[in-house]
Amino acid sequence: MSGADLALILLILACALLRAAGLLVAGRLRADHPFVRWAASVALATLAAFIAVAIVAPTGMLASIPFAARLSGLAVALGWMLWRGGMLAPLLAGLSATAALAALTAA
Amino acid sequence: MIFRTACREALGAPALAMAATFLAFGAAVQAAGLGFGWGLAAALLVYGMPGQMVLVTAVALPGGALPAVLGAAAANARFLPMAVALSPWLGGGVRRWWALPFIAVTPWAMAMRRLPGLPAESRLAWFLGFGLTSWLVAGAATMLGHAIAPLVQGPVLALLLLVNPLYFALILASEMRAAPSRRAVICGCGAVPLALLLPAAWGLLAAGLLGGTLAFLWGQRRERR
Repeated sequence: MSGADLALILLILACALLRAAGLLVAGRLRADHPFVRWAASVALATLAAFIAVAIVAPTGMLASIPFAARLSGLAVALGWMLWRGGMLAPLLAGLSATAALAALTAA
Repeated sequence: MIFRTACREALGAPALAMAATFLAFGAAVQAAGLGFGWGLAAALLVYGMPGQMVLVTAVALPGGALPAVLGAAAANARFLPMAVALSPWLGGGVRRWWALPFIAVTPWAMAMRRLPGLPAESRLAWFLGFGLTSWLVAGAATMLGHAIAPLVQGPVLALLLLVNPLYFALILASEMRAAPSRRAVICGCGAVPLALLLPAAWGLLAAGLLGGTLAFLWGQRRERR
């Protein structure tokens, strides 16, 4: 078994344990229990931080898109959603804006 | 019936976001010299993109598997609070354990919007329908990404990787009407400097813990007034 295979198996087990622990701990709690509300708050805050980092200071390939293009894509997607609603059209509009601005910057 | 409705709901923007991200992941797996089966197992059984990407990047580096696993598990540690928050909506019986493999950001975020408005007896079926559809889309996209990896490079790969944060931003923006969600998003964004200071795998977890706890305490304080 290679190191990559071993690492994958260990990660699969770790992720299953994290999910199982959450289901086990909160299985008998109501949705308005303070612990459940705290956990929801942490999960949402983590997601918000993930998005902010991806836009402001990403690593890897995402960093090859200029900051202005990433930010514009986000602004267009959010603006489109506020204006017309939906999810798919705002997502495509945001991606198009990013692609257009990135191409302009590269030209 | 509700199962099929949930399947259809998963086949719009959520499917696009999942497909784009997992397509990029499949290409990254192939570029790292890892096999098709490895990529598919990672996509379906880890099913948490930050951890998957940390693992793909780290297993190629010298130093062994353990640091890669620790970093990837830390990047996916949000599964724990997500499962805690989701669990009360899935009912108290053993059937809620069927949901375990599908707990990931996209199904979780949509479930937290949809489940409170559904009758209690329909909630698990909705989550299983949405979760299973998203999961299958993720697996199919990973296989495709691995197969067409040479075509998914440079700007195309970068754009595919941007789909996920944009989609999550739209989900969060639609949640901002609820005060607890608004507080969590504000505090999560406010804690971003911590995420930038710490190593990438731990930084997000730390920012989420700090921001989420502050948002929770903020809400508690407002309720007491």
